[in-house]
Amino acid sequence: MKKIFAILLVLSMVFVAFACTATEDPATDEPVVTEAPAVEEPVTEEPATEEPADITAEITLWTYPIGSWKDSATVEGFIASFNAMYPNITVKVEYLDYSSGDDQVTAALEAGTAPDIIFEGPERLVSNWGAKGKMVDLSDLWDEEAMADISATSAAVVSACQWTNGEYYEYPMCMTTHCMAINYEIFEAAGALQYIDQETRTWTTENFGKALQALVDYGVETTGVVYCGGQGGDQGTRALAMNLYSAKYTNAEHTEWTMNSEAGVMGLQQLVDWANAGLIGYDAGIVASDELQLFSNGTIAMSFCWNASNEANYASQVNFTPYAVAFPSDDSVPELCGGIWGFGIFNNGDQNKIAAAKLFIEFVCDDATQGPLSVSATGFFPVRSSYGNVYAGTESEARMAVFASFQKYLGDYYNVTKGWAEQRTAWWNMLQQIFGGADVTTAVNDYVTTCNAATAS
Amino acid sequence: MAARNRFSGMSRAPVRRETVSAYLFLLPALIFFVGFVIVPMVMCLFTSFFDYTMTDFTFVGFGNYVEMFKDPVFVKSLKNTAVLVVVAVPAVTAFSLWVASVIYPMRPSLRSFFRCIFYLPVVTGTVAVTVVWKWMFNQYTGLFNHLLKSASLIDKNISWLGNENTALWCILLILFTTSIGQPIVLYVAALGNVDNSLVEAAEVDGANKLQTFWRIKWPSIMPTTLYILIITTINTFQCFALIQLLTSGGPNYSTSTVMYYIYYEAFKLYRYGYGNAMGVILAIIIALFSALQFKLAGTGKAD
Repeated sequence: MKKIFAILLVLSMVFVAFACTATEDPATDEPVVTEAPAVEEPVTEEPATEEPADITAEITLWTYPIGSWKDSATVEGFIASFNAMYPNITVKVEYLDYSSGDDQVTAALEAGTAPDIIFEGPERLVSNWGAKGKMVDLSDLWDEEAMADISATSAAVVSACQWTNGEYYEYPMCMTTHCMAINYEIFEAAGALQYIDQETRTWTTENFGKALQALVDYGVETTGVVYCGGQGGDQGTRALAMNLYSAKYTNAEHTEWTMNSEAGVMGLQQLVDWANAGLIGYDAGIVASDELQLFSNGTIAMSFCWNASNEANYASQVNFTPYAVAFPSDDSVPELCGGIWGFGIFNNGDQNKIAAAKLFIEFVCDDATQGPLSVSATGFFPVRSSYGNVYAGTESEARMAVFASFQKYLGDYYNVTKGWAEQRTAWWNMLQQIFGGADVTTAVNDYVTTCNAATAS
Repeated sequence: MAARNRFSGMSRAPVRRETVSAYLFLLPALIFFVGFVIVPMVMCLFTSFFDYTMTDFTFVGFGNYVEMFKDPVFVKSLKNTAVLVVVAVPAVTAFSLWVASVIYPMRPSLRSFFRCIFYLPVVTGTVAVTVVWKWMFNQYTGLFNHLLKSASLIDKNISWLGNENTALWCILLILFTTSIGQPIVLYVAALGNVDNSLVEAAEVDGANKLQTFWRIKWPSIMPTTLYILIITTINTFQCFALIQLLTSGGPNYSTSTVMYYIYYEAFKLYRYGYGNAMGVILAIIIALFSALQFKLAGTGKAD
């Protein structure tokens, strides 16, 4: 009995020794193991060698309310098209909203129940979750063709999707420029249209001030409202403040926040002065969605949170002409804040699901038929130049042409600066302080200090 | 002969069986209590000593606690929370007692009607309640500004929730209306349990209504008062949803409470350790307040 046991022991030791030398040979520097089982065996569970159509997985998609991507009928239709090509991949969808979506994602990340795919912008996917190591590198999706096609539209889109370590945490699908809108009929009646260059839909800071005065003289009780009750739609108030005197929000390297520059302080001081003169309102009790409601029901004459999607959403509620214009700037050349939306994959450690998620993203963004449909559902514009005008021949063509004309004013996409989340909360608190009577320079310096500390940490 | 229990006189085996079955009945609740209360509490205390973020977990000892009391926003939030508790708890308790005293002698159908009316904000969802209040407080289209302007009491619209001087009082008003429902129902029930023979005896002895209330009814409903005080205190300390939905702690942190600030630090800035440290301090404060209320209002009559 002892002999049998000893033989078995020796055999097992020999087997282990051979096994170890076979897999852990430190002497060889061959970069490619040509005898990898995945190559030798045609049937394998390794997803990398599996035919894409054969992948079987159940993946989850969480989507923020970007155009019609908040409607289950639209999204389920896209998934049905995807399943026609990949029948073994089940996609479950959860619809987030902007008021609680971030909290849901944070909770899911901490609980280990994050979705596989998420649909939002680089400020979340890249500079927040990506920077914290939660996302999968999507460099393989950024092949030469995609890179060239997207770069042809905007190099800023490419750089926005890439983190400082060189990895891509977002694969973009659509983009837009945020602008503002006026109540055309009220402006016309108040004689304020003369201050807008209607050909380019731009105006100077000086003319904007004159327009405000004209509206007040005409009897408009509240011309517009600088909303600062929270971070919802804060791109509007940022764009307004920075454009007035052409301030830069961050440095070119996106390593420092710079609204405490002379131009930045002047812009904010101008807003406070207008508010004190009764030319413009401010309200720490509302956010952008409230402001949009006030605009659409005709209570106020302008909105600072406008874009193509909002125009479509509020079309049925307005009984006037919402006229999109760029933000006023001292040189009449605005720098509009951009919006980029695309997909990221949370690293849940399951390679099979990651492979399936990449297939879904490629289908939704790059498929010749599905890609343009996915984009037009957002109400924005494709990042792929090859898609051309996805609204051509539709009833939205003329309307979207107006917003397309703003694309040339797309400014620096500073949203990917590290510390973005802290910056957002500090911004509206700073606005509350300066409109509450605090010294503008001091408040902006404090704000920039807070932001820079977050960036440096 | 089987050994017998000294107190029940039963043999050991049936006693053991009864004990085991009793513990088995308690087990599901115990599992939930341990899993969802005790474990999170211990984790909260443990992680409060760490710089715990989405990417970091470094031991910092009492660093979070030291930072907290140097943090002006936390101190402001603590003050705001104290204002809410100091104003809301006595106001809710006194108003509930007054309403209950008024509606208790009414005929049953009318009493039920008023109980339903006052309980309505409790059963209505917080989101629905805040949406209505938000509309009423709206600077441009709100009911309050419309009424006050119509009555010529104001000539310019007020941003009730956007003004540092009014925002916290607006929150207090909403908190008050959503907090009185349960105490009123409890007080009406408690008044119904007051021994009527004692009341009649006092009246025969010549006690007036005030004396009857203070000498007979008040001591009888003291346990209910103690319960209401503690529950209202805890709920007020934990006031969060109203703040999140209406003001996000603004303007300029004038409505930020400790509970909201915990959320702000943990979910907006991802500083879980710091948020947990504030949670520990809040729990200690609530425990101290509750103990104090037990001491002052309990005085052995709570049984």
